[in-house]
Amino acid sequence: MGIHEAAVKRRRTGEFTAIAVFLAPALLVIGIFIIYPIIQSFITSGYEWNGYSSAKTFIGLDNWKKLLTDSTFWGAFRNNILVMVLSIVIQMPIGLALATFLNRAGKKANIAKVIWFIPMLMSSVAIGYLFRYALDPTTGFVTAISKAFGGGKVDLLGNPGTVLLTCIFIIAWQFTPFYMVYYMAGYGGISADIHEAAMIDGATEKDYFWNIALPLLKPSIKSAVVLSIVGSLKYFDLVYVMTDGGPSHASELMATYMYDTAFKSYQMGYASAIASGMFILISVIAIVTMKLLNRKED
Amino acid sequence: MKKSKLWKALASGVLAFTMMAATACGSSTGTSTTSTTSTTTSTAASAADTTASTGAGSTAASTSGGKTKLTIWHIQTGEVADTIQASVDRFMKANPQYDVTVVQKQNDTYKTDLSLAINAGTMPDVFITWGGQTMYDYVDEGLVADLTSYMKADGYADKFLDAAIKQCTYNDKIVAVPVENVSVAGFFYNKEVFSKYNLSEPKTIADLEKICDTLVANGVKPFALANATKWTGSMYFQYLATRYGGLQPFADAASGKGSFENDAFKYAGTTIQDWVNKGYFCDGFNGMDDDSGQARMLFYNGDAAMDLMGSWFISNVSDESSMIEDGTLGFFPFPSLDTSTADQTYTLGTLGDNLYSVSAKCTDQEGAFKLIQSLLDDTAVKERTAEGKIIPFKDFKSDNEVTNKVLESLNSAAGVQLWYDQYLPSEVAEVHKDTCQQIFGLTMTPEQADTTLQTAMKDYLAKNGK
Repeated sequence: MGIHEAAVKRRRTGEFTAIAVFLAPALLVIGIFIIYPIIQSFITSGYEWNGYSSAKTFIGLDNWKKLLTDSTFWGAFRNNILVMVLSIVIQMPIGLALATFLNRAGKKANIAKVIWFIPMLMSSVAIGYLFRYALDPTTGFVTAISKAFGGGKVDLLGNPGTVLLTCIFIIAWQFTPFYMVYYMAGYGGISADIHEAAMIDGATEKDYFWNIALPLLKPSIKSAVVLSIVGSLKYFDLVYVMTDGGPSHASELMATYMYDTAFKSYQMGYASAIASGMFILISVIAIVTMKLLNRKED
Repeated sequence: MKKSKLWKALASGVLAFTMMAATACGSSTGTSTTSTTSTTTSTAASAADTTASTGAGSTAASTSGGKTKLTIWHIQTGEVADTIQASVDRFMKANPQYDVTVVQKQNDTYKTDLSLAINAGTMPDVFITWGGQTMYDYVDEGLVADLTSYMKADGYADKFLDAAIKQCTYNDKIVAVPVENVSVAGFFYNKEVFSKYNLSEPKTIADLEKICDTLVANGVKPFALANATKWTGSMYFQYLATRYGGLQPFADAASGKGSFENDAFKYAGTTIQDWVNKGYFCDGFNGMDDDSGQARMLFYNGDAAMDLMGSWFISNVSDESSMIEDGTLGFFPFPSLDTSTADQTYTLGTLGDNLYSVSAKCTDQEGAFKLIQSLLDDTAVKERTAEGKIIPFKDFKSDNEVTNKVLESLNSAAGVQLWYDQYLPSEVAEVHKDTCQQIFGLTMTPEQADTTLQTAMKDYLAKNGK
């Protein structure tokens, strides 16, 4: 126990205080608005409660038992998985292609960059209403196009067979620009020297993309995939505005089902069980995905 | 090595968490760059919403600076909202001891906002309900002030239609004032289309079906319907069931004495599916939204000839089209069913629509009641009448021909069936709207739909010890 060790210890205490001070505001906000509600949701899921009554009946795990056998919830979960898979399959490659094009085209393509980014700037609610009118079976543009080619009226949102795919397409239209910008940032991290060196070594643009750029973009792609998974699994706004999960639950997502249960049926206890179930499912899927994506590097 | 692995696991955990946190925060601040509604759910949302509504000035009546503060929540829009503000301004001028905050709420989120305000103890002094089970629940919770003595004073209650007062009465106490509108449903039709095909207003359901067949043969859709909204299609179901069996089957089913597996509901479901199969409804109705006017658009264009809707439809039409000025808007009550022994004059709707109540926590209930009365003072009545409202007064008169036809159908009605979705407790009402949409979508048979609804009703009654 010398002077030196005491100094180290003192410095560590100082560091700890600094860390604590800097983290405190964030932790406070997360604690109040994230952690506390999560815990509260789990607690509420044990009750039968309409959301405003003073009568809150403890019913143990009944809500959870109901959740496990609720075909609407699992149908919604299946829809979420479909949104998740198709979001990755549609949005990632297109976003990457657009980013690659913009990266190679440079300043000349600035106008394209701005235009492509516009869907991302619009609020989901506005997009929902826009497409509601655009897809109107009598007056919408899809029907107009179909009629121009001699077809009949096209009903995409009222048909349980097409409604979810239509929503997924619109979601892709909205979010692809996000991944475009994300990958552009990824490209920004690759030094121009690398491209130049590859070209001097006789690589084609194709070689450069597949063998150099893509491996270097891997970290961006990985986090984009995780972001997309989490976003898809808790997706809400556009579907809520456009179809409210209908018709016949064909486009129901876990979040819209939770909202309707909480704020239309006023079954706050069961809605909390749905929310907690969502939390568990999404956490598990996100953590497993991250584990799988990071496995190689260990 | 081990340590670094641990750190990685920890870091990935934190990363996952912050990602959700980031997106969750995004939703509560209203950005749309990330998808909304957090996994952390209702409680998070309610915390945010409550602060928002408190911010809007929804504090309970309190005295400050010598003035009594009162807050009133309403869900009117357009001209009527201006009328309310003007009424309140007159009230404050005549009663300078009050400082009234008018909060205009959005229809769709109103119930949510109110239940959050109740939870947070920031209930407005004056608020609206639609009557039915929700209002009864609030009264049972001790949230609503008893207005009987104020209503009886000077015979104020006698000015209103008896049935309207009845709708505001629970356990022999008058707990609300029927202010807004008499809303009864019936068929609005396009006179131009009807005269083009030599059609006249139907008396019976068989007549109506004949009209529909003629229209379909001529490539016109008989009914404009936007049924993503669900309560729109539900009106067909309610009317058909009422025509078949009168008011009793529903009242019995809702109280547990009867069942939704009654023939009346089966008839309603079967008839609807028959009409769907015959192409009576506009294309893609289950994906269309009534609030954004998708059905009315077809009606105005003449693409569809009729719209079964509440009488607020008149206000919509006068705002959005020239049909009233052109005299092309017609109205007829829901036709009768010859084969039924039930009374065929029952009408579907509500007498007052928005019922204004005073919070039990309000410290100046008499002042709050006077505030409600000011919404129907002579000036307001004139303005409201001009705006197409049907005020539930006994001596109400309108110079609008369509409005008078609606009134006629109401005055000759033996009774009023309150909208199912307002009569039933919310969780059962949602099941009804849902199964009804499935009947329309042909994704459920009428029998399956009725059984599902009956199960939900039975569960609710069992849970609440009824």
